Amino acid sequence: MKNQYTRSRRRFLQGLALTANGLIVPRFAQARTRAFITKPIPSTNAQIPVIGLGSSRTFNVGNDPLSLDNVAEVMHHFFKAGGKLIDSSPMYGSSQPAIGYGLKKLGRANDVFSAEKVWSWKSGMGPEQMEQSRQYWGIDSFDLMQVHNLVSWEDHLKTLFRMKQQGKIRYVGITTSHGRRHDELEGIMKTESLDFVQFSYNILDREVEEKLLPLAKQRGIAVIINRPFQRGDLIEKLKDKPLPSWAATIDCENWPQFLLKFVVSHPAVTCTIPATTQVEHVKENMMACFGPLPDAAMRIDMIEYVEKII
Amino acid sequence: MGGLTSYRLSDFILFSQTTYYRQFELYNQAIWPLHSVAILITLIVFYALWKKPAWAGRGVALCFVLSWLWVAWAFLYQRFNQIHVVADWYALGFILQAGLIAWHGVVKNHFTPLIDSRLRMKIGTGLLIIALVFYPFIAVMSGRSWMQFEMFALAPDPTALATIAIPLLYKASIALYIIPIIWIFLSAMTLFAM
Repeated sequence: MKNQYTRSRRRFLQGLALTANGLIVPRFAQARTRAFITKPIPSTNAQIPVIGLGSSRTFNVGNDPLSLDNVAEVMHHFFKAGGKLIDSSPMYGSSQPAIGYGLKKLGRANDVFSAEKVWSWKSGMGPEQMEQSRQYWGIDSFDLMQVHNLVSWEDHLKTLFRMKQQGKIRYVGITTSHGRRHDELEGIMKTESLDFVQFSYNILDREVEEKLLPLAKQRGIAVIINRPFQRGDLIEKLKDKPLPSWAATIDCENWPQFLLKFVVSHPAVTCTIPATTQVEHVKENMMACFGPLPDAAMRIDMIEYVEKII
Repeated sequence: MGGLTSYRLSDFILFSQTTYYRQFELYNQAIWPLHSVAILITLIVFYALWKKPAWAGRGVALCFVLSWLWVAWAFLYQRFNQIHVVADWYALGFILQAGLIAWHGVVKNHFTPLIDSRLRMKIGTGLLIIALVFYPFIAVMSGRSWMQFEMFALAPDPTALATIAIPLLYKASIALYIIPIIWIFLSAMTLFAM
Protein backbone atom coordinates (compact mmCIF):
# COMPACT_ATOMS: atom_id res chain seq x y z
CA MET A 1 0.00 0.00 0.00
CA LYS A 2 2.79 2.31 0.92
CA ASN A 3 4.53 1.79 -2.43
CA GLN A 4 1.33 2.31 -4.34
CA TYR A 5 0.65 5.50 -2.41
CA THR A 6 4.17 6.76 -2.95
CA ARG A 7 3.96 6.03 -6.68
CA SER A 8 0.59 7.73 -7.03
CA ARG A 9 1.79 10.73 -5.09
CA ARG A 10 4.95 10.92 -7.17
CA ARG A 11 2.94 10.66 -10.36
CA PHE A 12 0.63 13.45 -9.18
CA LEU A 13 3.52 15.71 -8.24
CA GLN A 14 5.40 15.01 -11.46
CA GLY A 15 2.30 15.74 -13.50
CA LEU A 16 1.67 18.92 -11.52
CA ALA A 17 5.26 20.07 -11.96
CA LEU A 18 5.29 19.42 -15.70
CA THR A 19 1.95 21.15 -16.14
CA ALA A 20 3.09 24.13 -14.09
CA ASN A 21 6.19 24.41 -16.27
CA GLY A 22 4.05 24.43 -19.37
CA LEU A 23 5.67 21.22 -20.59
CA ILE A 24 2.51 19.15 -20.67
CA VAL A 25 -0.80 20.35 -22.02
CA PRO A 26 -3.61 19.15 -19.73
CA ARG A 27 -5.76 16.42 -21.25
CA PHE A 28 -8.94 18.50 -21.11
CA ALA A 29 -7.29 21.09 -23.29
CA GLN A 30 -6.71 18.60 -26.08
CA ALA A 31 -9.45 17.96 -28.56
CA ARG A 32 -10.54 14.35 -28.47
CA THR A 33 -11.06 14.07 -32.19
CA ARG A 34 -9.61 12.19 -35.12
CA ALA A 35 -8.12 15.43 -36.36
CA PHE A 36 -4.75 15.28 -38.06
CA ILE A 37 -2.10 16.38 -35.57
CA THR A 38 0.36 19.05 -36.60
CA LYS A 39 2.61 21.27 -34.53
CA PRO A 40 4.07 24.71 -35.23
CA ILE A 41 7.70 25.40 -36.04
CA PRO A 42 8.29 28.11 -33.41
CA SER A 43 10.41 30.40 -35.60
CA THR A 44 7.74 30.76 -38.31
CA ASN A 45 4.58 29.21 -36.87
CA ALA A 46 4.31 27.04 -39.99
CA GLN A 47 2.62 23.73 -39.14
CA ILE A 48 4.12 20.31 -39.79
CA PRO A 49 2.67 16.84 -39.09
CA VAL A 50 4.01 15.25 -35.92
CA ILE A 51 5.08 12.10 -37.76
CA GLY A 52 7.84 12.39 -40.35
CA LEU A 53 9.89 9.78 -42.15
CA GLY A 54 13.50 8.85 -41.41
CA SER A 55 15.75 7.22 -43.99
CA SER A 56 18.73 5.91 -42.04
CA ARG A 57 19.35 2.24 -42.96
CA THR A 58 15.91 1.75 -44.48
CA PHE A 59 16.37 3.76 -47.70
CA ASN A 60 20.01 2.83 -48.24
CA VAL A 61 19.32 0.26 -50.95
CA GLY A 62 21.93 1.03 -53.59
CA ASN A 63 20.69 0.86 -57.18
CA ASP A 64 18.52 -2.20 -56.64
CA PRO A 65 15.42 -1.50 -58.80
CA LEU A 66 13.08 -3.62 -56.63
CA SER A 67 14.17 -1.94 -53.42
CA LEU A 68 13.98 1.53 -55.00
CA ASP A 69 10.38 0.84 -56.00
CA ASN A 70 9.70 -0.30 -52.45
CA VAL A 71 11.13 2.98 -51.11
CA ALA A 72 8.83 4.86 -53.49
CA GLU A 73 5.88 2.77 -52.27
CA VAL A 74 6.67 3.59 -48.63
CA MET A 75 6.92 7.28 -49.56
CA HIS A 76 3.62 7.06 -51.46
CA HIS A 77 1.78 5.82 -48.38
CA PHE A 78 3.56 8.38 -46.21
CA PHE A 79 2.37 11.25 -48.42
CA LYS A 80 -1.07 9.69 -48.85
CA ALA A 81 -1.55 9.72 -45.07
CA GLY A 82 -0.59 13.40 -44.94
CA GLY A 83 3.14 13.09 -44.17
CA LYS A 84 5.47 15.93 -45.13
CA LEU A 85 8.89 15.84 -43.48
CA ILE A 86 11.50 13.39 -44.78
CA ASP A 87 14.93 13.39 -43.15
CA SER A 88 18.20 12.14 -44.60
CA SER A 89 21.97 12.61 -44.52
CA PRO A 90 25.01 12.11 -46.74
CA MET A 91 26.03 9.56 -44.10
CA TYR A 92 23.12 7.29 -45.02
CA GLY A 93 24.75 5.80 -48.12
CA SER A 94 22.36 5.75 -51.07
CA SER A 95 19.34 7.02 -49.12
CA GLN A 96 19.46 10.43 -50.79
CA PRO A 97 19.25 9.15 -54.39
CA ALA A 98 16.57 6.68 -53.23
CA ILE A 99 14.49 9.59 -51.89
CA GLY A 100 15.10 11.46 -55.14
CA TYR A 101 13.88 8.40 -57.06
CA GLY A 102 10.74 8.26 -54.95
CA LEU A 103 9.99 11.97 -55.23
CA LYS A 104 10.40 11.89 -59.00
CA LYS A 105 8.33 8.75 -59.44
CA LEU A 106 5.54 10.11 -57.24
CA GLY A 107 5.76 13.69 -58.55
CA ARG A 108 6.04 14.92 -54.95
CA ALA A 109 9.15 17.11 -55.15
CA ASN A 110 7.06 20.19 -54.35
CA ASP A 111 5.12 18.59 -51.50
CA VAL A 112 7.93 17.32 -49.31
CA PHE A 113 9.37 19.15 -46.32
CA SER A 114 13.00 18.29 -47.02
CA ALA A 115 15.26 17.88 -43.99
CA GLU A 116 18.89 17.23 -44.89
CA LYS A 117 22.22 17.33 -43.15
CA VAL A 118 25.74 18.46 -43.81
CA TRP A 119 28.28 15.89 -42.61
CA SER A 120 31.87 16.75 -43.29
CA TRP A 121 34.88 17.29 -41.06
CA LYS A 122 36.23 19.70 -43.68
CA SER A 123 33.95 22.69 -43.43
CA GLY A 124 35.00 23.87 -46.89
CA MET A 125 33.42 20.73 -48.33
CA GLY A 126 30.00 21.64 -46.89
CA PRO A 127 28.56 23.69 -49.79
CA GLU A 128 29.67 21.12 -52.36
CA GLN A 129 28.17 18.29 -50.31
CA MET A 130 24.88 20.13 -49.85
CA GLU A 131 24.67 20.81 -53.58
CA GLN A 132 25.29 17.11 -54.27
CA SER A 133 22.52 16.24 -51.79
CA ARG A 134 20.13 18.67 -53.50
CA GLN A 135 20.81 17.05 -56.85
CA TYR A 136 20.19 13.60 -55.38
CA TRP A 137 16.83 14.74 -54.01
CA GLY A 138 15.96 16.48 -57.29
CA ILE A 139 14.49 19.54 -55.56
CA ASP A 140 15.10 23.28 -55.96
CA SER A 141 16.21 23.85 -52.38
CA PHE A 142 16.07 22.28 -48.93
CA ASP A 143 13.59 23.39 -46.31
CA LEU A 144 15.84 22.43 -43.41
CA MET A 145 19.59 21.91 -43.36
CA GLN A 146 21.11 20.49 -40.18
CA VAL A 147 24.67 19.99 -39.01
CA HIS A 148 24.96 16.23 -38.62
CA ASN A 149 26.09 15.00 -35.22
CA LEU A 150 27.73 18.35 -34.37
CA VAL A 151 30.52 17.65 -36.87
CA SER A 152 32.55 20.87 -37.42
CA TRP A 153 29.45 22.72 -36.26
CA GLU A 154 31.06 26.14 -35.77
CA ASP A 155 31.99 26.53 -39.43
CA HIS A 156 28.97 24.71 -40.85
CA LEU A 157 26.53 26.84 -38.85
CA LYS A 158 28.10 30.02 -40.24
CA THR A 159 27.57 28.67 -43.75
CA LEU A 160 24.00 27.62 -43.00
CA PHE A 161 23.01 30.96 -41.48
CA ARG A 162 24.46 32.66 -44.56
CA MET A 163 22.48 30.33 -46.82
CA LYS A 164 19.32 31.07 -44.85
CA GLN A 165 19.90 34.79 -45.25
CA GLN A 166 20.33 34.28 -48.99
CA GLY A 167 17.06 32.34 -49.15
CA LYS A 168 18.75 29.08 -50.13
CA ILE A 169 17.31 27.22 -47.15
CA ARG A 170 14.36 28.03 -44.87
CA TYR A 171 15.56 26.62 -41.56
CA VAL A 172 18.84 25.86 -39.79
CA GLY A 173 19.30 23.00 -37.39
CA ILE A 174 21.78 20.73 -35.67
CA THR A 175 21.56 17.06 -34.73
CA THR A 176 22.90 14.39 -32.48
CA SER A 177 21.75 10.88 -31.62
CA HIS A 178 22.21 8.04 -29.12
CA GLY A 179 22.42 10.61 -26.31
CA ARG A 180 25.85 11.81 -27.47
CA ARG A 181 27.41 15.18 -26.61
CA HIS A 182 24.35 16.66 -24.92
CA ASP A 183 26.36 19.16 -22.91
CA GLU A 184 27.89 20.61 -26.05
CA LEU A 185 24.49 20.65 -27.78
CA GLU A 186 22.99 22.49 -24.81
CA GLY A 187 25.64 25.17 -25.14
CA ILE A 188 24.93 25.56 -28.85
CA MET A 189 21.18 25.79 -28.24
CA LYS A 190 21.79 28.56 -25.73
CA THR A 191 24.00 30.66 -27.98
CA GLU A 192 22.93 30.07 -31.59
CA SER A 193 19.68 31.12 -33.28
CA LEU A 194 18.61 27.65 -34.31
CA ASP A 195 15.26 26.85 -35.92
CA PHE A 196 15.52 23.11 -35.31
CA VAL A 197 17.38 20.67 -33.15
CA GLN A 198 17.33 16.89 -33.49
CA PHE A 199 18.20 14.24 -30.92
CA SER A 200 17.12 10.81 -29.64
CA TYR A 201 14.17 10.36 -27.30
CA ASN A 202 11.87 7.46 -26.57
CA ILE A 203 9.84 6.00 -23.74
CA LEU A 204 12.93 4.42 -22.15
CA ASP A 205 15.65 6.96 -23.04
CA ARG A 206 14.31 10.14 -21.47
CA GLU A 207 17.46 12.02 -20.48
CA VAL A 208 16.53 14.92 -22.79
CA GLU A 209 13.47 15.66 -20.65
CA GLU A 210 15.80 17.11 -18.02
CA LYS A 211 17.50 19.88 -19.97
CA LEU A 212 17.30 19.79 -23.77
CA LEU A 213 13.54 19.64 -24.24
CA PRO A 214 12.77 22.41 -21.72
CA LEU A 215 15.56 24.50 -23.24
CA ALA A 216 14.17 24.01 -26.76
CA LYS A 217 10.75 25.10 -25.53
CA GLN A 218 12.23 28.13 -23.80
CA ARG A 219 14.36 29.14 -26.80
CA GLY A 220 11.62 28.54 -29.38
CA ILE A 221 13.48 25.78 -31.22
CA ALA A 222 11.56 23.08 -33.06
CA VAL A 223 12.53 19.55 -32.01
CA ILE A 224 12.83 16.52 -34.29
CA ILE A 225 13.13 13.24 -32.43
CA ASN A 226 15.13 10.37 -33.92
CA ARG A 227 15.12 6.74 -32.75
CA PRO A 228 11.61 6.76 -31.24
CA PHE A 229 11.76 2.93 -31.34
CA GLN A 230 15.43 2.60 -30.26
CA ARG A 231 16.17 1.57 -33.86
CA GLY A 232 13.52 -1.17 -33.67
CA ASP A 233 14.75 -2.68 -30.40
CA LEU A 234 11.74 -1.35 -28.46
CA ILE A 235 9.28 -2.88 -30.92
CA GLU A 236 11.18 -6.16 -30.73
CA LYS A 237 10.97 -6.17 -26.94
CA LEU A 238 7.30 -5.22 -26.82
CA LYS A 239 5.80 -7.02 -29.80
CA ASP A 240 4.56 -10.01 -27.80
CA LYS A 241 3.40 -7.98 -24.81
CA PRO A 242 -0.20 -6.79 -24.45
CA LEU A 243 -1.09 -3.16 -24.94
CA PRO A 244 -2.80 -1.70 -21.88
CA SER A 245 -6.56 -1.47 -22.29
CA TRP A 246 -6.42 2.29 -21.72
CA ALA A 247 -4.30 2.70 -24.88
CA ALA A 248 -7.61 2.68 -26.76
CA THR A 249 -8.52 6.01 -25.15
CA ILE A 250 -5.75 7.67 -27.18
CA ASP A 251 -6.60 5.63 -30.29
CA CYS A 252 -3.54 3.38 -30.13
CA GLU A 253 -4.07 0.01 -31.76
CA ASN A 254 -0.48 -1.20 -31.63
CA TRP A 255 2.88 -0.60 -29.97
CA PRO A 256 4.36 1.70 -32.67
CA GLN A 257 1.43 4.10 -32.27
CA PHE A 258 1.72 3.91 -28.48
CA LEU A 259 5.45 4.69 -28.57
CA LEU A 260 5.09 7.46 -31.16
CA LYS A 261 2.25 9.14 -29.32
CA PHE A 262 4.35 9.11 -26.17
CA VAL A 263 7.15 10.93 -27.98
CA VAL A 264 5.11 13.54 -29.83
CA SER A 265 2.89 14.31 -26.83
CA HIS A 266 5.79 16.05 -25.13
CA PRO A 267 4.95 19.73 -25.70
CA ALA A 268 8.52 20.59 -26.68
CA VAL A 269 8.61 17.91 -29.41
CA THR A 270 7.63 19.07 -32.89
CA CYS A 271 7.82 15.76 -34.73
CA THR A 272 9.50 12.39 -34.83
CA ILE A 273 11.00 10.50 -37.75
CA PRO A 274 10.52 6.72 -37.56
CA ALA A 275 12.14 4.87 -40.46
CA THR A 276 10.79 1.77 -42.14
CA THR A 277 11.02 -0.35 -45.27
CA GLN A 278 7.49 -1.71 -44.83
CA VAL A 279 4.36 -0.16 -46.29
CA GLU A 280 2.27 -1.62 -43.45
CA HIS A 281 4.58 -0.03 -40.90
CA VAL A 282 4.43 3.43 -42.44
CA LYS A 283 0.64 3.18 -42.46
CA GLU A 284 0.67 2.19 -38.78
CA ASN A 285 3.08 4.97 -37.90
CA MET A 286 1.07 7.62 -39.70
CA MET A 287 -2.04 6.65 -37.71
CA ALA A 288 -0.23 8.16 -34.71
CA CYS A 289 -0.92 11.49 -36.43
CA PHE A 290 -4.60 11.10 -35.64
CA GLY A 291 -6.71 11.17 -32.49
CA PRO A 292 -5.93 12.44 -29.01
CA LEU A 293 -2.49 12.58 -27.46
CA PRO A 294 -1.82 11.39 -23.91
CA ASP A 295 -1.81 13.98 -21.15
CA ALA A 296 0.80 14.34 -18.41
CA ALA A 297 -0.75 11.71 -16.14
CA MET A 298 -1.15 9.21 -18.95
CA ARG A 299 2.43 9.74 -20.08
CA ILE A 300 3.56 8.67 -16.64
CA ASP A 301 1.27 5.64 -16.81
CA MET A 302 2.78 4.79 -20.21
CA ILE A 303 6.31 4.90 -18.81
CA GLU A 304 5.42 2.82 -15.78
CA TYR A 305 3.57 0.23 -17.84
CA VAL A 306 6.40 -0.21 -20.35
CA GLU A 307 9.08 -0.31 -17.66
CA LYS A 308 7.08 -2.95 -15.82
CA ILE A 309 6.59 -5.34 -18.74
CA ILE A 310 9.86 -4.94 -20.59
CA MET B 1 38.03 15.24 -35.72
CA GLY B 2 36.98 14.96 -32.09
CA GLY B 3 33.47 14.00 -33.09
CA LEU B 4 34.72 10.89 -34.82
CA THR B 5 35.37 9.23 -31.47
CA SER B 6 31.69 9.45 -30.62
CA TYR B 7 30.83 7.06 -33.46
CA ARG B 8 30.48 3.34 -32.98
CA LEU B 9 30.83 0.60 -35.58
CA SER B 10 27.05 0.19 -35.73
CA ASP B 11 26.76 3.88 -36.73
CA PHE B 12 28.49 3.04 -39.99
CA ILE B 13 26.35 -0.04 -40.65
CA LEU B 14 23.60 1.99 -42.21
CA PHE B 15 21.99 -0.75 -44.26
CA SER B 16 19.68 -3.60 -43.40
CA GLN B 17 20.53 -7.29 -43.52
CA THR B 18 18.13 -7.65 -46.47
CA THR B 19 19.93 -4.93 -48.41
CA TYR B 20 23.34 -6.39 -47.55
CA TYR B 21 22.57 -9.87 -48.87
CA ARG B 22 20.65 -8.42 -51.82
CA GLN B 23 23.97 -6.86 -52.93
CA PHE B 24 25.37 -10.38 -53.43
CA GLU B 25 22.31 -11.39 -55.43
CA LEU B 26 22.59 -8.36 -57.74
CA TYR B 27 26.35 -8.81 -57.98
CA ASN B 28 26.06 -12.48 -58.91
CA GLN B 29 23.48 -11.62 -61.56
CA ALA B 30 25.66 -8.82 -62.94
CA ILE B 31 28.89 -10.79 -63.26
CA TRP B 32 27.44 -14.06 -64.55
CA PRO B 33 29.11 -16.18 -66.09
CA LEU B 34 32.38 -15.10 -64.44
CA HIS B 35 31.69 -17.71 -61.77
CA SER B 36 33.20 -20.28 -64.13
CA VAL B 37 36.51 -18.36 -63.92
CA ALA B 38 36.29 -18.49 -60.11
CA ILE B 39 35.73 -22.24 -60.31
CA LEU B 40 38.76 -22.54 -62.60
CA ILE B 41 40.88 -20.56 -60.10
CA THR B 42 39.65 -22.84 -57.30
CA LEU B 43 40.64 -25.94 -59.31
CA ILE B 44 44.08 -24.47 -60.07
CA VAL B 45 44.67 -23.81 -56.35
CA PHE B 46 43.66 -27.35 -55.38
CA TYR B 47 45.73 -28.88 -58.23
CA ALA B 48 48.81 -26.87 -57.21
CA LEU B 49 48.45 -27.94 -53.59
CA TRP B 50 47.88 -31.59 -54.47
CA LYS B 51 50.39 -32.17 -57.27
CA LYS B 52 52.93 -29.54 -56.19
CA PRO B 53 54.17 -28.67 -59.69
CA ALA B 54 57.20 -26.37 -60.04
CA TRP B 55 54.97 -23.36 -60.66
CA ALA B 56 52.76 -24.07 -57.61
CA GLY B 57 53.97 -21.22 -55.35
CA ARG B 58 53.83 -18.51 -57.98
CA GLY B 59 50.66 -19.96 -59.51
CA VAL B 60 48.73 -20.01 -56.22
CA ALA B 61 50.00 -16.53 -55.36
CA LEU B 62 48.84 -15.21 -58.72
CA CYS B 63 45.40 -16.75 -58.23
CA PHE B 64 45.08 -14.94 -54.90
CA VAL B 65 46.39 -11.66 -56.29
CA LEU B 66 43.76 -11.71 -59.04
CA SER B 67 41.06 -12.64 -56.53
CA TRP B 68 41.85 -9.80 -54.10
CA LEU B 69 42.06 -7.26 -56.93
CA TRP B 70 38.78 -8.40 -58.45
CA VAL B 71 36.93 -8.30 -55.13
CA ALA B 72 38.35 -4.84 -54.42
CA TRP B 73 37.18 -3.45 -57.74
CA ALA B 74 34.05 -5.35 -58.69
CA PHE B 75 32.43 -5.95 -55.31
CA LEU B 76 33.76 -3.48 -52.76
CA TYR B 77 34.20 -0.42 -54.96
CA GLN B 78 31.50 -0.94 -57.59
CA ARG B 79 28.80 -2.61 -55.50
CA PHE B 80 29.30 -2.38 -51.73
CA ASN B 81 30.34 1.27 -51.96
CA GLN B 82 26.76 2.15 -52.91
CA ILE B 83 25.48 1.29 -49.44
CA HIS B 84 28.57 1.50 -47.22
CA VAL B 85 30.29 4.84 -46.65
CA VAL B 86 33.71 3.31 -45.99
CA ALA B 87 33.68 0.55 -48.64
CA ASP B 88 36.15 2.47 -50.80
CA TRP B 89 38.64 2.26 -47.91
CA TYR B 90 37.99 -1.46 -47.67
CA ALA B 91 38.75 -1.70 -51.40
CA LEU B 92 42.09 0.03 -50.82
CA GLY B 93 42.89 -2.52 -48.12
CA PHE B 94 42.16 -5.35 -50.53
CA ILE B 95 44.44 -3.80 -53.16
CA LEU B 96 47.18 -3.52 -50.54
CA GLN B 97 46.73 -7.21 -49.69
CA ALA B 98 46.96 -8.11 -53.39
CA GLY B 99 50.23 -6.15 -53.50
CA LEU B 100 51.60 -8.02 -50.48
CA ILE B 101 50.77 -11.42 -51.97
CA ALA B 102 52.22 -10.35 -55.33
CA TRP B 103 55.45 -9.22 -53.65
CA HIS B 104 55.94 -12.29 -51.47
CA GLY B 105 54.45 -14.95 -53.73
CA VAL B 106 54.99 -13.83 -57.31
CA VAL B 107 58.01 -11.50 -57.28
CA LYS B 108 60.01 -13.13 -54.48
CA ASN B 109 58.61 -16.62 -55.07
CA HIS B 110 58.52 -17.21 -51.32
CA PHE B 111 55.57 -19.60 -51.34
CA THR B 112 57.48 -22.82 -50.62
CA PRO B 113 55.25 -25.80 -49.73
CA LEU B 114 55.49 -26.98 -46.14
CA ILE B 115 56.03 -30.69 -45.77
CA ASP B 116 57.20 -30.89 -42.17
CA SER B 117 53.93 -30.21 -40.34
CA ARG B 118 51.00 -32.47 -41.07
CA LEU B 119 48.85 -30.61 -38.53
CA ARG B 120 49.36 -27.27 -40.27
CA MET B 121 48.68 -28.94 -43.60
CA LYS B 122 45.42 -30.39 -42.28
CA ILE B 123 44.24 -27.09 -40.77
CA GLY B 124 45.20 -25.17 -43.90
CA THR B 125 43.51 -27.65 -46.21
CA GLY B 126 40.42 -27.63 -43.98
CA LEU B 127 40.21 -23.84 -44.12
CA LEU B 128 40.63 -23.90 -47.89
CA ILE B 129 37.86 -26.46 -48.31
CA ILE B 130 35.52 -24.37 -46.15
CA ALA B 131 36.34 -21.19 -48.09
CA LEU B 132 36.43 -22.63 -51.58
CA VAL B 133 33.85 -25.41 -51.48
CA PHE B 134 31.55 -24.99 -48.48
CA TYR B 135 31.13 -21.19 -48.38
CA PRO B 136 28.87 -20.77 -51.43
CA PHE B 137 26.26 -23.03 -49.82
CA ILE B 138 25.91 -20.94 -46.64
CA ALA B 139 23.27 -18.69 -48.24
CA VAL B 140 20.94 -21.59 -49.01
CA MET B 141 21.68 -23.33 -45.71
CA SER B 142 20.72 -20.19 -43.80
CA GLY B 143 17.43 -19.87 -45.66
CA ARG B 144 18.41 -17.11 -48.07
CA SER B 145 18.02 -17.11 -51.83
CA TRP B 146 20.62 -19.35 -53.47
CA MET B 147 21.52 -16.43 -55.75
CA GLN B 148 22.99 -14.66 -52.71
CA PHE B 149 25.88 -17.12 -52.57
CA GLU B 150 29.39 -15.87 -51.78
CA MET B 151 32.19 -17.48 -53.72
CA PHE B 152 35.96 -17.48 -53.38
CA ALA B 153 37.67 -15.03 -55.77
CA LEU B 154 34.41 -13.12 -56.17
CA ALA B 155 33.26 -12.25 -52.62
CA PRO B 156 35.37 -10.83 -49.78
CA ASP B 157 34.68 -13.23 -46.90
CA PRO B 158 35.62 -16.57 -48.55
CA THR B 159 38.57 -14.89 -50.26
CA ALA B 160 39.94 -13.60 -46.94
CA LEU B 161 39.28 -16.94 -45.23
CA ALA B 162 41.12 -18.87 -47.96
CA THR B 163 44.07 -16.46 -47.71
CA ILE B 164 44.52 -17.31 -44.04
CA ALA B 165 45.23 -20.87 -45.16
CA ILE B 166 48.24 -19.77 -47.23
CA PRO B 167 50.75 -19.26 -44.41
CA LEU B 168 49.60 -22.62 -43.04
CA LEU B 169 50.36 -24.43 -46.29
CA TYR B 170 53.38 -22.45 -47.45
CA LYS B 171 56.42 -20.86 -45.87
CA ALA B 172 54.96 -17.39 -46.31
CA SER B 173 55.33 -14.11 -44.47
CA ILE B 174 53.16 -13.55 -41.40
CA ALA B 175 52.34 -10.13 -42.91
CA LEU B 176 49.94 -11.93 -45.24
CA TYR B 177 47.72 -12.72 -42.25
CA ILE B 178 47.08 -9.14 -41.14
CA ILE B 179 44.58 -7.77 -43.64
CA PRO B 180 42.55 -11.00 -43.99
CA ILE B 181 42.20 -11.23 -40.20
CA ILE B 182 41.21 -7.56 -39.94
CA TRP B 183 38.66 -8.13 -42.71
CA ILE B 184 37.16 -11.20 -41.07
CA PHE B 185 36.88 -9.25 -37.81
CA LEU B 186 35.18 -6.31 -39.57
CA SER B 187 32.88 -8.60 -41.48
CA ALA B 188 31.88 -10.47 -38.34
CA MET B 189 31.19 -7.14 -36.60
CA THR B 190 29.12 -6.01 -39.56
CA LEU B 191 27.02 -9.18 -39.52
CA PHE B 192 26.59 -8.77 -35.77
CA ALA B 193 25.65 -5.08 -35.96
CA MET B 194 23.12 -5.47 -38.78
